[in-house]
Amino acid sequence: MTDNTHQPGIPATGPEADKRYRHRLVLGFGLFVLFFVFYVGTAVIQTPAFSHVSSIPFLGMPLGLFLSVAIFPASWVLIVIFFAKGE
Amino acid sequence: MEDNFLVVLFILAFVAAGIFITWFTSRQTKSASDFYVAGKHVPWIGVGIAMTGSYLSAASFLGCAGDIGVFGVDSIWLAIGFFGGYMALLMLIAGPLRNVGSYTVADALHRRFPDDRVKLIVMVTTLVISIFYLVPQMLGAGLLFGLLLGWNFVAVTLGIGLLVSLYIVFGGMKATLYNQIIQAIFLWGAMVLVTVMAFFIFGDGSIGKVLDTANKVVPPLIAAKNPAVVEAIKGLPADQAIEVARSMMPAAESAMTLGVKVPGTLAQISTVIALVFGTAGLPHILIMFYTVRSARAARKSVTLCIVGLGIFYLCAILLGFLLFPGMYGTLVEWIAPGGKGIGYAKNMAVVLMSEMVGGKLLMAIAASGAVAAVLSTSAGLMIATASTISHDFYKVYINRNATERQELMIAKVTTLVMSVIAVALAILLKKENVAWLVTLAFGIAASAIFPAMVATLWWKRATRQGIMISMATGLTVSVLFIVLLLAGVPTFLGMPTAGGPGVFGVTAAGVVLVVVSLMTQDRGKDVEAFFALAHKEDHD
Repeated sequence: MTDNTHQPGIPATGPEADKRYRHRLVLGFGLFVLFFVFYVGTAVIQTPAFSHVSSIPFLGMPLGLFLSVAIFPASWVLIVIFFAKGE
Repeated sequence: MEDNFLVVLFILAFVAAGIFITWFTSRQTKSASDFYVAGKHVPWIGVGIAMTGSYLSAASFLGCAGDIGVFGVDSIWLAIGFFGGYMALLMLIAGPLRNVGSYTVADALHRRFPDDRVKLIVMVTTLVISIFYLVPQMLGAGLLFGLLLGWNFVAVTLGIGLLVSLYIVFGGMKATLYNQIIQAIFLWGAMVLVTVMAFFIFGDGSIGKVLDTANKVVPPLIAAKNPAVVEAIKGLPADQAIEVARSMMPAAESAMTLGVKVPGTLAQISTVIALVFGTAGLPHILIMFYTVRSARAARKSVTLCIVGLGIFYLCAILLGFLLFPGMYGTLVEWIAPGGKGIGYAKNMAVVLMSEMVGGKLLMAIAASGAVAAVLSTSAGLMIATASTISHDFYKVYINRNATERQELMIAKVTTLVMSVIAVALAILLKKENVAWLVTLAFGIAASAIFPAMVATLWWKRATRQGIMISMATGLTVSVLFIVLLLAGVPTFLGMPTAGGPGVFGVTAAGVVLVVVSLMTQDRGKDVEAFFALAHKEDHD
């Protein structure tokens, strides 16, 4: 990090900057943790040890497969929230 | 060769387009900023598409569907795992990284912790990741064209190495990006087209029917181990072959049974963690965020990439299941000889399926899609390596007073050297199955780069010592696991090595980072100013 005072265009520090950082920290990590728990949880269900759960029929397919495929649209929903709340 | 005229034509078109783009962009590539990051003014849509191309390797294009065709439902996590990492990139890395970095991954870390050793560790990590990732690309391309066109392995790998070097040496990042855009559109379009056509031809446009078939299917890997079944289904259409195999092996698992491939829960978690956090630590993806105008543009580009990848991988999963009603008997026949047969089935299934649903034209498009995947990924890896060697190593350790011209010359020489090394290793390892090296590259990126990057961008209490020791630990643990894996050691300290280094490397690097940071004080030269810059207000 070079000396802040010699770099034009470097944003000011202070309460505003800190507030923005905290907002993004909560938003980014909050949504990512949601995604990650769903993601790893589904990955675990899709293993032989949990086959009794993953094989439960749900909407015409096994629950494990449904949840696995649902990761894609679920991530798109989280992205919409990320941009909506991040503005 | 006459049969494959269209394939050759498409490949020549790619080569010609690549050379034209390189010639066109070479006139605009003058400064270091032009060479490393395309002048930082590429529209986010272009970068989003190029990022999709850079990430979609031959393993994604051919391997995801092919793997499902061999093992069944277990393999869907290969596609989902490749996809998941982009959420970490969007929410935790893209924006702040764009704000604080300039040319390389190390730049962002070095901006907060101006210690040259940071650059050295990132350079070594980038080099290891790139070699692990690049060699399977070259080798895969050589084998694919040997199988498809009977082309000489050495000539194909040399040709690809030469073409990619040409993009980078003369056109830098701009030529690389524009080529990746064309290649991404092509390979994405090929995957969607083949899947949609196969869905209506072999799946009757019904997901229910596709899954019913999968429920009946004895996974080709299992059926292929039974010589009587292999003999009985030879030459039968797919639907009859499925019935015969099931009637001869009534108690066998189905393609929807879990556990045919996945060894256990911990190995699954390790693989998935490596793919998620590894994607978010891949140098050739991270440096693409520097090519857009702003943090907001970086987020938009990765969002476009996520949507594109999501559609691509959903198609790959569906196509994998469609291989059963489309070509079950052929898959079993290919796999029956074992070893190489399995690799052949994984790589050729998508190409053959393309021909079955769309004739020679679609097969040519699919085969060219595979070439596009190899070219775009290889170019991204090579420019990331060239940047780090010249900017983080030569400029820091060899010639601190190097001019921009000298730095660029080193980057270009590095590109050529990397190309030679990758081609030589591909030729040397031709008989080995090295596709799994890509997964290991993700494990190294997840362990050595991701925790350090996230902490640098988000944790004010992180210290220089914590970051450096974390990176060194992540690299060491992941390399140790890879050595154990290569040596055939199944467990280490009670931990399975089968899932790769992911969970162990990330955990070790994360724990070390927190503990060492809490024990030391050097949080960077001006941490508040760094955070104000990293998380500054967004402007397009």
